[in-house]
Amino acid sequence: MNKNVIKFFDKIQNIDRRYIYIVVAFSIIIPLLIPFNSPTYVTKPTSDIYKKIDSFAGDKTKAILMSFTHDASTMPELFPMEVSVLRHCFERDIKVFMICWLPAAAPLVDYAINTAKEDFDVQAGVDYCNFGYKPWVLRLPIMLGMGDDVAKAVKTDSQGRKVENLEIMKNIKNYDDLNLVIDFAASSSAIQWITYARARFGANIAAGVTAVMVADNYPYLHTGQLMGMFRGLKGAAEYEKMVDVFAAYESEDHPNGRPFSKEIIKETSVPITGDTVPYKYKKARIGMNAQSVAHIMMIFFILLGNIGYFITRKKEL
Amino acid sequence: MKRQIPLIIIITMGFMFVAHSFIPHKVSADFFDWFQDWVKAVSPFAVSLGIMSLFMVHGTKIKRKVPNWQYSVITLSGLIFTALAGFIWGTHVGTPYMWLFENVQMPMSATMFALLAFYIASAAYKAFRARSAEATVLLIAAVIVMLGQVPLGAMISKWIPEASTWILNVPNLAAKRAIMIGVGLGITATSLKILLGIERTYLGGGD
Repeated sequence: MNKNVIKFFDKIQNIDRRYIYIVVAFSIIIPLLIPFNSPTYVTKPTSDIYKKIDSFAGDKTKAILMSFTHDASTMPELFPMEVSVLRHCFERDIKVFMICWLPAAAPLVDYAINTAKEDFDVQAGVDYCNFGYKPWVLRLPIMLGMGDDVAKAVKTDSQGRKVENLEIMKNIKNYDDLNLVIDFAASSSAIQWITYARARFGANIAAGVTAVMVADNYPYLHTGQLMGMFRGLKGAAEYEKMVDVFAAYESEDHPNGRPFSKEIIKETSVPITGDTVPYKYKKARIGMNAQSVAHIMMIFFILLGNIGYFITRKKEL
Repeated sequence: MKRQIPLIIIITMGFMFVAHSFIPHKVSADFFDWFQDWVKAVSPFAVSLGIMSLFMVHGTKIKRKVPNWQYSVITLSGLIFTALAGFIWGTHVGTPYMWLFENVQMPMSATMFALLAFYIASAAYKAFRARSAEATVLLIAAVIVMLGQVPLGAMISKWIPEASTWILNVPNLAAKRAIMIGVGLGITATSLKILLGIERTYLGGGD
């Protein structure tokens, strides 16, 4: 084989990392700046959460609890999930509570509420309630305490009002009513909810995690201890699409959204290039475009390295 | 006494919590309520301790002008300024605290985390070489999971997401469960050793 060819394949085995960085940077930045339509396939762990939340629509005796266990570093993946769940709840008149366990997560909760509530006529203490920041050391007593009495475990909300006096607390006593807890985290912190809220009080637990933590949470999803899971940005994109297709759907037959249907979700494609969907509600799908291109580039580099490796090895043999 | 008293507290409380988990009695429930109040009272001291520790560590660095002491000034200024912004103007939308969060903390934290993508890309390029049968399996699994994670995988073939799910559901799950069972047994053994006073290294002080 020609010496120059061998040299070339030797080189592609050892590409300077700075070139890889540049290619990865462009493959992320360009799709973020120029969104394009790509299909979003909804998976069962995400649709299970949607169906569970949707089953509470208009029911004043049921509510969901969103637990924020992350800081701003993982916002690009987790924030679109949180906004989508809030949007779903506001669209379908579902009571929603929020709590956070890290000081850095407290502004995140406010940011998520403000992002979602602009388009809805919802009121704090009536339609939603932010319990605010609770120190990590109180996580266990609060988790266990909510199994008996939510208002006793969390005495005040983020604005210092007594939780027991809030209108939203009517018919909400413990995990029988606060029937779904979704833990948003960049770790396996949902395990604590499984151990204390599910095992002891039978609460339904779901997790919204970053893609790197998905594998760690799979055992709990497989056993049913997690009734559903948002798997990284992909999970967020799937939920965004479901809210668009069902909860935010309006027609004469379904003025307040339509019920979940496998056929409809399979066949419906929501364009993200126009103004049909506001930017804040399609962030995850735009991010998925960037992730798709970045993955393709990574696979391309891996293949390139292997081609170089095999050709140079053949020559050595 | 310095070691015996903490040891007695830990062993007594440990057994009381084991009993609380298994005895659904009013006395047990009252004990738990009492414990909750104590935890709430004690936890603010942890924050004070953290702040004191931060000031002591960085204060010493600034005083001694150790290399890169300027970063310690920034750390302490950040702490003081953010805390003051929160105490004076509150933490709601439109306040300087929220402005700091949205324009300083959020982008800086996201930037740090985003750097991971570049390192992963570079590491994957270097590490995923089919040098042996095991490395080839790892390489193939990685490519399938990466494709299965994005819409392109399903566009190429509906089997790619299926294969990706299978990898996560079967080999990954088996390995994860094995690790978790091992960790669980380890935690149980260590907890028992602490409860029985056999394991005392957490008290510090050698021996």
